[in-house]
Amino acid sequence: MKTITDLRSDIGEILLTEGQIQSRVAELGASVSADYAGRSLTLVSVLKGSLPFMADLMRSIDRPLRIDLMEVSSYGGATTESSGLVRILKDLSSSIEGEDVLIVEDIIDTGLTLNYLVRYLRGKKPASLRICTLLDKPARRLVEIDVDYIGFTIPDQFVVGYGLDYGELYRNLRFVGVLRPEVYSSPE
Amino acid sequence: MIDPAPDAATGAMPSVGDSAAPGGRSFAHASEAEMARILDFYGVAWHYEPTTFPILWNLDGEVVESFSPDFFLPEFDLYLEMTTLKQSLVRKKNRKLRRLRELYPDIRIKLFYARDFRAMMLKYGRLGLARSLSGASGQLVGGALLGELAMTPTSASPMAAMPDPIASLTAAPTPSRRRRSGRPAERETA
Repeated sequence: MKTITDLRSDIGEILLTEGQIQSRVAELGASVSADYAGRSLTLVSVLKGSLPFMADLMRSIDRPLRIDLMEVSSYGGATTESSGLVRILKDLSSSIEGEDVLIVEDIIDTGLTLNYLVRYLRGKKPASLRICTLLDKPARRLVEIDVDYIGFTIPDQFVVGYGLDYGELYRNLRFVGVLRPEVYSSPE
Repeated sequence: MIDPAPDAATGAMPSVGDSAAPGGRSFAHASEAEMARILDFYGVAWHYEPTTFPILWNLDGEVVESFSPDFFLPEFDLYLEMTTLKQSLVRKKNRKLRRLRELYPDIRIKLFYARDFRAMMLKYGRLGLARSLSGASGQLVGGALLGELAMTPTSASPMAAMPDPIASLTAAPTPSRRRRSGRPAERETA
């Protein structure tokens, strides 16, 4: 079993330090606070990768807000093999009809998952629906989506940490780093 | 799922029901079949090779070269061309793409390179699959991957004896090469 030291040694380059992340999240929180003044805000986070970002962002927003969590199956995952279609593994716990909703994402690359979520949430008739992502990887974009708040635009590299995983590991690293290719290119 | 409408450039009718029944489709390359499954998974409507764009004519006005993007995503008005060939062999396709953009500036098209496909497979925990589907070895020939056939011991009919490796992954599209009559060959064989 890998130790936390092993996980750190799998990182080839630290892309975003803990300090950089915290500073940017505070800026995002301030922007959201200003934009949603006097409105009824619900943050909807997508498990599991968005958890650290959600936890930090919600505490940097100086407005009353509600939070909710969703989880959707990912292509290739064990839970998806039977149907071949994305499934809602955890739905919202309460209605968002008439609410101002902000989707909180960890990373947007192809945009496929987010596109699905946006369509799904629009069907629940929120008053507004906007998107906030910590990381944006536009080089990988397959479907275009308007993103309202972007923490960092990152290069086309496979990153882990601060919620982002590879094989369910590395999520608890406090920084975002580039995984060494040899970690994932070794024979499976 | 998709309302059929004549293609603006050719007047041809797009394939209907692509998204609903990918298992019944024919794909030139296993990576295209995998992409179709991914699009289906996320509920993105698609057409497979619905349009052939002429890009070069001879002096008699006959089309001598054309380009058929692999997918059209009507929701995003976007064509998607996949190339899982080695980067060094992509030059020809890039040239055709430049020509397409010159002649049809309103067309939105994205070229999906081998590295893009590998990155997507890595994200979905299927990097091993990306290896087996990349390049010439990912072409579907008579129900089997070309790369697999190359490793088959010599026999009178190795294809007939080969199991379909894609079929073991998910419900597989019909693995046969489809080409429209009168249309020039598009696929490069690395």
